[in-house]
Amino acid sequence: MKALSGNLLHDGETVYWRDGQWVPRFKDAELFDDDAAAEAAEARAKSALTVVVDPYLIDVIESDGLWAPLSFRERIRALGPSNHPQHGKQALGGEDIAALQHAHGAARSTGRVALIKRK
Amino acid sequence: MYRYDTIDKAFVADRAAEFREQVNRRLAGEITEDQFKPIRLLNGLYLQLHAYMLRIAIPYGTLTSKKLRKLAWIAKTYDQGYGHFTTRTNLQLHWIKLADAPDILAHLAEVEMHSMQTSGNTIRNVTADPYAGATADELDDPRVWAEAIRQWSTLHPEFSFLPRKFKIAVTAAAKDRAATRVYDIGLAMRRGRGGELGFEVMVGGGLGRTPYLGATIREFLPTRHLLSYLEAIVRVYNRHGRRDNIWKARIKVLVASLGAEEFARQVEAEWAKSEHERADLPDVELARIRAQFTPQFDKRPARSEALEAAKAADPAFARFLRHNVHPHKAPGYAIVDVSLKTPGQTPGDISSEQMEVVADLAERYSQDELRVNYQQNLLLPHVKLDDVPAVHAALAAAGLATPNMNLISDIIACPGLDYCALANARAIPVAQHIAERFADPERAELIGELKIRISGCINACGHHHVGHVGILGVDKKGEEFYQVTLGGSGENDAALGQMLGPALPADKVAPAIEQMVDVYLRERREGERFLDTFRRTGVAPFKEAVYADAH
Repeated sequence: MKALSGNLLHDGETVYWRDGQWVPRFKDAELFDDDAAAEAAEARAKSALTVVVDPYLIDVIESDGLWAPLSFRERIRALGPSNHPQHGKQALGGEDIAALQHAHGAARSTGRVALIKRK
Repeated sequence: MYRYDTIDKAFVADRAAEFREQVNRRLAGEITEDQFKPIRLLNGLYLQLHAYMLRIAIPYGTLTSKKLRKLAWIAKTYDQGYGHFTTRTNLQLHWIKLADAPDILAHLAEVEMHSMQTSGNTIRNVTADPYAGATADELDDPRVWAEAIRQWSTLHPEFSFLPRKFKIAVTAAAKDRAATRVYDIGLAMRRGRGGELGFEVMVGGGLGRTPYLGATIREFLPTRHLLSYLEAIVRVYNRHGRRDNIWKARIKVLVASLGAEEFARQVEAEWAKSEHERADLPDVELARIRAQFTPQFDKRPARSEALEAAKAADPAFARFLRHNVHPHKAPGYAIVDVSLKTPGQTPGDISSEQMEVVADLAERYSQDELRVNYQQNLLLPHVKLDDVPAVHAALAAAGLATPNMNLISDIIACPGLDYCALANARAIPVAQHIAERFADPERAELIGELKIRISGCINACGHHHVGHVGILGVDKKGEEFYQVTLGGSGENDAALGQMLGPALPADKVAPAIEQMVDVYLRERREGERFLDTFRRTGVAPFKEAVYADAH
């Protein structure tokens, strides 16, 4: 299962794709079980040059009956920094945030396809 | 403290205005992200996990109260009310909006600051000994030379598209407090036989994926030729540095592949054919810069009765004196460390309110100056001994007086996976757990000097290779693991750490530190630091203590 994520151009906020719109919370993200549909959404997102920077697909898994990003990196993006719980999306609280905070079963390195790491 | 002249002011203001135009064009869709990204990076603006991050240059780690107050205001107005000092003595703001960045640069320009040279394949912000101008063991104020390098290197047209980033550190003291052996170029001032001042020139140091200690390619370069010689070094690198492989593009790889001797030969040949006078700093310009680094000190008694009385009355103050207060070249003065390492807090983080406190103290008690060091702490360089009790009280009230300089809880940690788009694992919580475990100041003092450095990825912003204990976060199938190295140092006894053993899961790191400290306390001989004991015993007893359960 995949979701489409990126950061808004104007303020850098982490957002998720849902039916052609960008939403701030992972729980509202559209989930793709069909790779072709996911890639089509990614291509559409990339064509809107002034909305989101560098959208990319992330892997999603089921954890205790809820969906969560597969990688730890993507969970931190969905939550915020662990040293400042009052900052980032985690500050909004809610069951979805609690579920992400307790998600387990991570299995792959970055969750981002073809990520080139350079400083 | 160097003040911008009219040329500097116009240049920085123009740069901010230019960036405003570029941001507007990006937001309007007139340029693509691929076109814009190099532009924003050359202005220190990165896109990270949660927002944009602005890295603000603090040349040679020197700030005035006015500058720090402006940083406090920017952090409060445009960020979440705090900033993060880095191992390159810069300040990072982690919650910046692209649309606000041009305003921030304009505000920075008002106080003679900018964010150039904090990213990109250019000569980066120059660093220097944080004790510059205050310590008795220096031959000259290294900031004079660092400022000359800053002016020479900023937007240098020939060196704006280097194979990779390029970092220079300068010290003029016997004790290396600027980590010069792990820089692309490390400059250490020496006195020649005839009394003339010059630099030992070290090239090809660096951490990251392939760590190297710099090699000395010239024992003594007369100071007057500094810029022409730097030009020759960077020219050789610019010509032969690899551009085909990002992991092999730094000068350290070129120096290692050619050999230091051959690299030095090429630099000397390049230098011999250049017109030195064209690049070297004219005497009149050197004098202009030097005139701005001339702190004046009152004649004062070497002993302060007020300080001695406070020391006798307050054990906490006495402990602060032992660890955070250092000798000054002028009698009756001291250098006072400001700890950004309160156990449980994020190493290097400082709130806007704390910035205001430090700015007030710098203005009132330290000739309006403060410094940032690569250990992610601040210091007040020129405090009268009589004033140290008042400074301590004000710092303590703001949570900035932890007496832990160079002790086990004075941990360097990069932002790691909590913020950084490059990181593989978090660094901050690991530092917090270790510092909390050793929060008892008596125990920390008993353990003595122990430098822990943590990086969240192989880029090594947390200097893990040169930690007495180095900790590198790695990603193993989506989980955070940590490789531990021992025996590194970034100072005069510079060395790269040795691997302890297999990577540890996150919850085993702090207990492993505890186990290794126990080994040290058991094995140490009179006067030995952790590093000394490790170097005598080797890795075996530490390895056994940590991995015994797994055997």
